[in-house]
Amino acid sequence: MSPDGTIEAQRIWKRFRADRVPRSLRDHLDFSRPRGRGWRWALRDVDLEIAPGESVALIGANGSGKSTLLKILNGVMDPYAGHLDVHGRVGALIEVRTGIHPQLTGRQNVYIYGALIGMSRREVAQRFDAIVAFAEVEQAIDRHVKFYSSGMQMRLGFAVAAFLDPDVMLVDEVLAVGDAWFQQRCLDKLREMMTNGTTLVFVSHDLAAVQASCQRGVLLEEGRVVADGPVDSVLERYRMAVEQSARLIDDSDDPYRVVAARTRAPDGGPVMSDGTLTIDISIASADPRAVSACVGISEGTAAPVIVVQRDVMLAAGTSEILCNIDRLPLPKGRYSVWFGAFETHGNDLVPWRPISDVDVHGPELMPSPNGVVRLAPVHVTTRWEIS
Amino acid sequence: MGQTEAMPRPPLDEPPAELRYRRKLAPLRSLHELWNARELLWSLGEREFQARYAQTWLGVGWALVTPILLMLVFMVFVNRVVNVNTHGAPYSVWVYLGLLPWTFFSSAVSRGGQVLVFESSVLNKVRCPREVFPLSSLVVAAYDFALSVFVLGVLFLITGYEPHTTAIWVPLLLAIQIAFCAGVALGLSVVVVFVRDIGQAIPLMLQLGIFATPVAYDISAIPHQWQPVYAAINPLVGVIEGYRETILYGLQPPWRLVIPSAIASCLYLVGGYLLFKRLEPGIADVA
Repeated sequence: MSPDGTIEAQRIWKRFRADRVPRSLRDHLDFSRPRGRGWRWALRDVDLEIAPGESVALIGANGSGKSTLLKILNGVMDPYAGHLDVHGRVGALIEVRTGIHPQLTGRQNVYIYGALIGMSRREVAQRFDAIVAFAEVEQAIDRHVKFYSSGMQMRLGFAVAAFLDPDVMLVDEVLAVGDAWFQQRCLDKLREMMTNGTTLVFVSHDLAAVQASCQRGVLLEEGRVVADGPVDSVLERYRMAVEQSARLIDDSDDPYRVVAARTRAPDGGPVMSDGTLTIDISIASADPRAVSACVGISEGTAAPVIVVQRDVMLAAGTSEILCNIDRLPLPKGRYSVWFGAFETHGNDLVPWRPISDVDVHGPELMPSPNGVVRLAPVHVTTRWEIS
Repeated sequence: MGQTEAMPRPPLDEPPAELRYRRKLAPLRSLHELWNARELLWSLGEREFQARYAQTWLGVGWALVTPILLMLVFMVFVNRVVNVNTHGAPYSVWVYLGLLPWTFFSSAVSRGGQVLVFESSVLNKVRCPREVFPLSSLVVAAYDFALSVFVLGVLFLITGYEPHTTAIWVPLLLAIQIAFCAGVALGLSVVVVFVRDIGQAIPLMLQLGIFATPVAYDISAIPHQWQPVYAAINPLVGVIEGYRETILYGLQPPWRLVIPSAIASCLYLVGGYLLFKRLEPGIADVA
């Protein structure tokens, strides 16, 4: 018998109906409609072994099967095939507002939601004050929840679920809502649970939060596990995959387009932190036109770290734009260079896309302490004085 | 855990047949889980009861409106036209005793049949024994029932008619009533998830059902030899006749009706529960 907090999922398969099911009487009577059963495999042969206390991020594009896997681990859905054992009490932070009933007061909801996720009345009563304090709804606890703001409803749901003290905690995208202050406190709470030995399975598109809270990453692609390992390396792989697919978009028929793009250091050597980065861009234009040219640099597909802009006059035919960024504030790593050209009132002529990569050489970025979310990597020189 | 080694298996298009996941039908374990979820069952019922009458002026008084109104309708129309033989008991009390179990059934089934569809968003996110949802509608119905029983007491006071001590048989009849309603609610709720049309038909069936139950008329309208069959098909027959014989006339429960009803309720309950458990794994896929 494995200890509580262990997840053993072997060869999990799950499928959903993909055919156009006759939905109404009219469809049933329409014999010309193609029939037959189609299935779409949401999970294919997924293995996931998680030891107690591990924190694992499920990473993948939309539709890659992350949420389905989470539902199966949660036990709300059965797999089609495979073996599954989740030991211990399972808690889930999945759209925490769904269990909240708008016609009841906050107090009643705490008890009912607690019961829904498996707490006894006594357990809820013991934690009631802590739950209410964490959700910051002390003033409103005897008010109907429908008069709560959506943020308050979410905080209430999260707080109840967070105080379940489960052996396994499943978190799906809940941190997307709520303000930054509450998000940070949620992450703190999750980390506190992890220190107490709770196993964490985390699904989020917020890669920074993923990186801050998980040690291990599992990358899913079309329902298969394609990478499983330390979160940093798996995230890197995911970012590369997304970047490549973004660059595959072919818009060669557009009247305005990027023909070529290159990144280099002015002296021809490697691009260094604190050095100069030169970006050469060739743009084809159908007619002479004044545009605002934007160049951005991002880590993976995250929002850009740097965006610079300049009004330029494009000639008919091909124009060359050269952008020098001095004292490059980026630590060692691989970055994407983005480009877009916009009309003066904001319409895009050349859509905002990654156009090239750049490898920056220089000092490694210091790892941030576990649980601290760093939005973007920036290289700064520091001078400390300790007395 | 480190980086996994190269994929040990060739990618397949379909899982091998021997891997098929089958949830075992384990009634004992399921019942144990249900027992552990009893607080949730009460909470859900309570939640529904509170939420239903929240912000209404009459509040829980609405729970009494249906049986009282139907009683008045039957008193004014049916009793005048048909002239039911109540063997000396006031018609109001007589018909109300039929309406009590009927309203319980109607309320439990109308909500219980649809509850899995209403609660589908919760079902997809929260793990708990799914039976609690249809069963919670019995809790709601029980709250309404308890309030209606209070009205029955008032009726006895007004009419001056006294209930008999044979009313000690009531708990047995109540058990039959609850078992039957639970079975129907369980079976119906899970079938409705897969065949939504049935959900549309429930209110209609309930409107007709009141005439398939001896609420307003006497059981003697049915040929004598068919009465036990009638009681087996519709266990409320045995329940209603039982209430009337024991409470109003001081007689033993009419065993020739109550026994078929009791057996049938048990079958309804077991059948409904097994059907529910059989179809339960698919609920999250289609809800």
